[in-house]
Amino acid sequence: MRVLLVDDETEFVSTLAERLSLRGIDVDYATGVDDALAIASRKEYDLAVLDMKMPGASGLELKKQLAEKYPAMKFIFLTGHGSENDYLLGSSGSEYYLVKPINIDLLVSKMKEALARYGGSNV
Amino acid sequence: MGGAMSEHADHLGTQGLQFFGKVSASISHELKNVLAVLNENAGLMEDLSFAAERGKAIAPEQLQRISGNFSRQIRRADAILKVMNRFAHSVDHSRARIDLTELTTLVATLAGRLAAMRNITLDVIPPAEDITWETNPFLLENLIWLSLEKVMACSEGGGAVRFRLAKEAGEVVLSITAPIQLPADLVTNLPAGQVQLLSALAARLVLGPTGSELEIRLGCRESPAVGEEATGGEGKKG
Repeated sequence: MRVLLVDDETEFVSTLAERLSLRGIDVDYATGVDDALAIASRKEYDLAVLDMKMPGASGLELKKQLAEKYPAMKFIFLTGHGSENDYLLGSSGSEYYLVKPINIDLLVSKMKEALARYGGSNV
Repeated sequence: MGGAMSEHADHLGTQGLQFFGKVSASISHELKNVLAVLNENAGLMEDLSFAAERGKAIAPEQLQRISGNFSRQIRRADAILKVMNRFAHSVDHSRARIDLTELTTLVATLAGRLAAMRNITLDVIPPAEDITWETNPFLLENLIWLSLEKVMACSEGGGAVRFRLAKEAGEVVLSITAPIQLPADLVTNLPAGQVQLLSALAARLVLGPTGSELEIRLGCRESPAVGEEATGGEGKKG
């Protein structure tokens, strides 16, 4: 499973990447939209985990850009508040979202679920 | 007349609550982010300790890095809560003599996260000498916030927004300079609540000479306490 994490909170995203890596997941991270698009262009990712609110663009806007370029990529969203979920569900059609602070086991489970449900590399 | 004054107070109260709500929501987002970082670092320590139980050595620098992350986030949360506390206490007095640079800096700090989301940086340029003003602190914070929202809404491409304070011809002028030219209609057709806010503060909102500054002009007659009879939007001179 190749995963791209995108969140503007550097300490959050770098530590989460380290933890996922300890679980055997091939993970890279970006701290902004431009950074994410550049990294995604260099390697094939099965799944992207996107923060909903980032400077310059929302997670949904980034998802749109990534999905256009990489149609096979799956997405999971991270939100700061549960109240954003209605907006998220209504706008993206995705059921994969988690509220911060996240439970890493739940995140890994959602990753596997997303790939199993829509197809993807072996987990 | 009593009815009009009551309606006036209601508009100000509703607008004030909306302002309080927006600030509270922004602060809660920031604190959520702090908790998310702390949660991941606590989780990483747990992961490393499980690995150590299985015989994998933990490098001291890993623990030092995690410890550093904890300390940074605790300092960050402390700073957020100090600002929140100062803001919460701004409703303590309906009239107080305040340092305008301090008050402007407080509003800029509160709006920092929302500005960052738009790729906007906020800079408060202090005046050569301190400028104090006797007014309703919370209402003035609300006016600065609303004015900043207008400027940020026009600054779609991001950039630097600067606050400058100056004394000018008997008025105190707080200029909020945008990275772009502001539309002329920015200071016309204001919502009723904003007109009343200006009136309560004896302030007026005008575009500056270059067209990129939104100016809050506080008139010579220092603002009445809420509930006192307020004059129109134009501050009186003299």
